[in-house]
Formats: sequence, C-alpha cells, structure tokens
Amino acid sequence: MRVAISGLNNTDNPGPGIPVAKSLKDEHTLIGLSYDPNEPGVYQDFFEKVYLMPYPSLGYEEFKNRVVQIKEKSDIDFIIPNLDAELPLYIKYQDEISELGIGSYLPSLECFEMRDKSKLPKLSKELGVKHPETMEVGSLDDLIAATREFGFPIMVKGNYYKAYKAYSLDEAIDYYYKISNEWGFPLLAQQVVSGEEINFVGIGNGKELVGGVGAKKLTTTELGKVWSAVSINNPKLLELSQKFVESTGWRGAFEFEAMANGSEIYLIEINPRFPAWVYFSTQLGVNLPQMMLDLASGKEVEPNFNYEKEKMYMRFVDETMVDFTEFTKLLATKEK
Amino acid sequence: MLINEIVIDDNNMGFIPSLGISYQLNETAKEIINLIKEGKSKDEIVQTIAKESGVDWREVHIDVEDFFQKIKIYGLI
Repeated sequence: MRVAISGLNNTDNPGPGIPVAKSLKDEHTLIGLSYDPNEPGVYQDFFEKVYLMPYPSLGYEEFKNRVVQIKEKSDIDFIIPNLDAELPLYIKYQDEISELGIGSYLPSLECFEMRDKSKLPKLSKELGVKHPETMEVGSLDDLIAATREFGFPIMVKGNYYKAYKAYSLDEAIDYYYKISNEWGFPLLAQQVVSGEEINFVGIGNGKELVGGVGAKKLTTTELGKVWSAVSINNPKLLELSQKFVESTGWRGAFEFEAMANGSEIYLIEINPRFPAWVYFSTQLGVNLPQMMLDLASGKEVEPNFNYEKEKMYMRFVDETMVDFTEFTKLLATKEK
Repeated sequence: MLINEIVIDDNNMGFIPSLGISYQLNETAKEIINLIKEGKSKDEIVQTIAKESGVDWREVHIDVEDFFQKIKIYGLI
C-alpha cells in the first residue's frame, strides 16, 4: 500500500509521524506530508517522497487541491493524519477524501468533538470515571476566577496543545498569554490531580477496542512528551478504553491519558490519534498502525492486547547529513 | 491493595505492573511485603521477623509500624 503520513517533527517535541512510519516502513511505500522543511523526519529516509502541505487554517479547498496533486504524483492509497490541528479537517471531509480514492480510518466528527478537552467532564461522567474539575478560560477574569476556585498549583492548558502547571497567579498569567498568543482561545484551567500518569494507546473499529498497549511515562520532555516509559498492565485503564470505544463507537486510533492515585483513576485527556510513543507498541508486538490499515481494508483483525509488561521504552537523539539542496528543493518546489 | 501486585526481582526491586512504579527494597522490606502477600497480619509479621532475627519484638514492632505507615502514604495499602 502507498501510505501518506503527517506529523514528521522529530525534535524534543516529537510528532507521531515517524513512529507510525517506522511501524509501516517494511511493508509499505511511505509518502511524507510536512508543514515545515525543518522537520527532521523529512530527512530520515523513510519516505519515497515528501510534500509540503498548506496549513489547515487555509481551509478545505487549499487542502483538497494539494491532496489531489499528491494523489496524481504519488498515487497514495491511504492517509494517516497525526496532528491535532489538522484532524478536524480530515475528519470533517473524510467522505470527500475517500471519493478522491484515498482511504483513511478516522472517528466521526461527533465522536471527535465528544472527547474535546472542554467536553471531557461530560464524557467522563458517561464513562463513570473521575475527571479533574475544569473551567473554560476566555479572559483573564476567567483565569483569576479559576485560580480562586481550584487554588494552586493549577493546570493552564490550550485546547489543542500545551499544558503547564502554574504555582502562582503570575505564573498562570504568563502561561495564559504564552498559550493564547500561539494557539488562541479558549484555554482551560484545571485542578491538579496527584498520582502516577499512565497512558493507553489503542485502536477501535467503531464497535470495540481491537488492540492496545498501556505505559507509564518515566521521563518526559519539557512539554510532557514521553522520553522513556515502561509497559504496564492496568485492567481499569483497559476496561475504561474498551468502554470508551463501545459507548462512543470510536473508529481509529486514540490515546488515553490518565492519573492513577492508588486504585482511583482520573481521566485527563483523550487524544484522537496515535501518540508519539506508538512505536513502543509496535516493538512490543502490537503494531497498531498496521492494524489500522488492515481494518480499513476490511481484513479480519484479531484483537491483540498481548505484550510483555516491564519492558522499557527509551527515546534517543540521532543525527544525519543530507545535501542542502534537499532542503532548498522542498522549500522552493514544496516537494522532494 | 496494590501491594498484592508487587513483583520483586533478584535485585530486590519491587515493580507494580498496573502503574509501572518501582521501589528499591532491602531484605526486611522484601520479607514484610512477602508476608503481607501471604495474608499475615501486622502482629504475625512482627512475631515472624522478631523470631528470625532474634531482635526484641518491641523494636521490630516500631520498625514494622513505620513501614506500614510508609506503604500507606505510597498508596500501596
């Protein structure tokens, strides 16, 4: 299959694109979709061809024109979008993308919106899981009201990206401007829950959970991205993930982020895509990106939750050298 | 109780498979955990350790009590 993959950033704020590419590279021809020629993944030799994409904020027409061009040039069969900011576009227009002869495996728009950070309290209630108290923040007054309600420390979060723990009002205001200047409004203020952060990456087929792996982050980057982790088996987290897929009819990849405090679990966030640590699941023998392609092709996919616990995941830095013309070509012609 | 889950390896590292947390244990901590997992009460644990080590049970009681407080704080019991 000829598979296009986005999210090629591979810095200390890694995107999921390269881990997805590593999971598929042995069986498929891969095409990279990038938003920036500086993304390191562009130069990692996983892709037959890399194309620059228009920013999602430019709208569907721009996006569609580009996808049509890429289809004509590289004859892609399938797209795996891996970035939060582009997912609404892919999800909203998944039928139109399918009409172009390009497959995808995504949740419905309704499902996608259900797990939006601002709607998570409602979903948590439906799933019967605890969720930290959250308030939507559209102004400094809202932020101050939230700090009065929750006290300190408090989490200040963007609706798509970024989350910071603030220990004082000054710090909270700093983060308020930092996030809103980059990502806009609304922001969210959230009560801090103490405990161990545990995560689950899985894939649903619209009816049930088909595969997944649990992990606990051991070390993270400044932005909270996993740098090292250990595989875990948490029956409650698995059960919650199963319930999430079954009750929402989730189709596609997702990541559950939770805090475990003793035997209590708090749902923190549900990401509607593979996380940047998804290659850990592949290494453990649960190749979720491959399962996605199989599910999309209508193949019979055996549920797979069989993996070894107490295996350690460790990210590391690598280097490469390429002709500078690869960079300039991508910049000038939007492909390489 | 999370303590019932703990898996102790040859290096005396205790691992909780559902949460991915590790603890470095000494021989006594390992023994107390194993006794808890066998369903022994605090008093029975004190008796067992006092008998094996030859230390006065009152001293052992203080240490075992302290250990129970710690694992309570860690959310293991």
